[in-house]
Amino acid sequence: MRIDFFLVMAALLFTIGCVGVLVRRNIIVMLMCIELMLNAVNLTFIAFSHESQSMTGQVFALFVITVAACEAAVGLAIVLALYRRRRTTDADDASLLRW
Amino acid sequence: MHLLTGLVIVVMAAALVRAVAPGRPILTAFASGIAAAALLVAFHQDLAGTDFWAGTIGFLAILSALVVVIHPNPMVSVLSLILNLICLALFYLLLQAQTLAILQVIVYAGAIMVLFVFVIMLLNLRAEEGLRIGRGVQRWGAILGGGAFAALLLWALRHRQGHAWMEPGRHAGEFGTAASLGGLLFGQYVFATEAASVLLIAAMVGAVLLAKRRLD
Amino acid sequence: MDPRLPALLIESSAKIALIFFVNLTAIAYLTWLERRVSAWIQDRRGPNRVGPFGLLQPLADGIKFIFKEAITPPQAHVVLYLLAPVIIFVPAMATFSVIPFGPTLELFGRTIPLQVADVDSGVLVILGLSSLGVYGVALAGWSSNNKYSLLGGLRSSAQLISYEMALGFSIVGVLMATGSLRLTDVITHQMDHGWNILWQFPGFLIFIIAAFAETNRLPFDLPEAESELVAGYHTEYSGMRFSMFYMAEYANMITASALAVTMYFGGYHVPGLQALGLSPNVAAIVQVAAFTLKTGFFLFVYVWVRWTLPRFRYDQLMNVGWKGLLPLAMAHILWVAFIVLMGWA
Repeated sequence: MRIDFFLVMAALLFTIGCVGVLVRRNIIVMLMCIELMLNAVNLTFIAFSHESQSMTGQVFALFVITVAACEAAVGLAIVLALYRRRRTTDADDASLLRW
Repeated sequence: MHLLTGLVIVVMAAALVRAVAPGRPILTAFASGIAAAALLVAFHQDLAGTDFWAGTIGFLAILSALVVVIHPNPMVSVLSLILNLICLALFYLLLQAQTLAILQVIVYAGAIMVLFVFVIMLLNLRAEEGLRIGRGVQRWGAILGGGAFAALLLWALRHRQGHAWMEPGRHAGEFGTAASLGGLLFGQYVFATEAASVLLIAAMVGAVLLAKRRLD
Repeated sequence: MDPRLPALLIESSAKIALIFFVNLTAIAYLTWLERRVSAWIQDRRGPNRVGPFGLLQPLADGIKFIFKEAITPPQAHVVLYLLAPVIIFVPAMATFSVIPFGPTLELFGRTIPLQVADVDSGVLVILGLSSLGVYGVALAGWSSNNKYSLLGGLRSSAQLISYEMALGFSIVGVLMATGSLRLTDVITHQMDHGWNILWQFPGFLIFIIAAFAETNRLPFDLPEAESELVAGYHTEYSGMRFSMFYMAEYANMITASALAVTMYFGGYHVPGLQALGLSPNVAAIVQVAAFTLKTGFFLFVYVWVRWTLPRFRYDQLMNVGWKGLLPLAMAHILWVAFIVLMGWA
């Protein structure tokens, strides 16, 4: 069992998350795909931490989880505020600033 | 890798039966059950080995990630993201990061995803729209870009120096325990920890303020 | 295959089967206990027809639930609707896997610890599984396609996650004194330094209040009170599916009581058992019985409080959770930190 297995897995998850952000229109699902990308990065951190026998990777992964929590909370609050004004969660409808 | 192929075969068997005889869930379940049993018999030597479980959990993780992206109902997307997070927590267990694995379940799958479920319930979102798929130049650009990324990935993996083999018990007993994690968090990285707590408070205040009905 | 694996599998399977069986029986007889104790408090008889002292009543109730018609509401999301009772029941039973209900037994030449999984971070496993149980409630409310269920599910899950924090903080107080996340270490520490209830009484109160809120029991059971929201998130469930919710609530009660006993009352420790000089196996059985009695006492307290106190209104409930318990819990942590630093723990 090599570390490469986890690296490939993380890369696949990152790609799937990236595709999700680009393809989906619902803002909440886009936020979920961003969380997927963050988790793929976490997996890479922990795989490398195991390989180099250093706990720094795990500490960093913990900080990534913390930041992801903050970002999800604030992002969802923004989605709620947007829904109250425009009655839609479609990202393409939040286009007032578009030229 | 053989296991992953086998699991893909199970899924294909189920899909084949589903396509040929739609609306026959028992037949589909029977076919995938037989394929899964055949796989188990073929791989029974490895059942307690790391490879088997890593492959199975990896298969489940990718399957759930695909469901997140593809399924039109946001609630089903949330549930399969939760499944994905739990699969990742199991990966962390395999990589000897046991505290982080259980923290991932508590914080990510148990708190952040509850936020998502709440918002979907509050906004009462049902199944929805079509996907945003480009045509023409965008499509070809995406295919070329994706192929280039895959090639880059394979090249980078092939040319890694020092392929690490993973064996259980390879690390000292203190690797991945809460004690060592806490020692680092409050020792070498104490500034980052305090900054993260300030960030959390700011995010909490921000979220409460943004979601208020009237600012009075 | 590792040669130690088959023996370990047999041992773990036996323990899991035993815990499962005991838990299910305890859930069934908890319903009997509830009805008899509530009757006693309300100065009437409880069930006393179905067997001696009504002891076969849970059996009759179980048979009734099996025979009831299970109606699925129209336009409900069927997969999520059927999944919700499972998601709420499995963590409720699984948390019992890390609770130590006795010291070690010496059988067949093996030392068998009376705990299914002595994980390094046992306490975190319990917290994680209870956070996963919130999804069952939320999904039940969402998938029933019914506005009362939706509101009940929202209220109940908001209540659950609010009180999870107070629960966690009071547990942190115990962990600071113990210095380890293992539940066996918590019990060993209490054996050496006296039970945690003696000097962490505010933490115990916070824990008990939060545990009442986490298990959706009075005085915090607004989401499932009949005069509100019909029956909250399990309005649309009938028959065996409803009994899953019912059983999950009682299983959560048993887990919370067992956790309170382990954290604050020394778990299976019986002070002064050393002096009796019993053989190890007999001592182990005595300690298991002590654990069961202590847990039973807490279950009695649960039932007693339910039939004594009135119910909190929902905004009062949220105020108590966020503005009352949380600052108190933080003050408690300061108190415990002071004591641990002084070395008096």
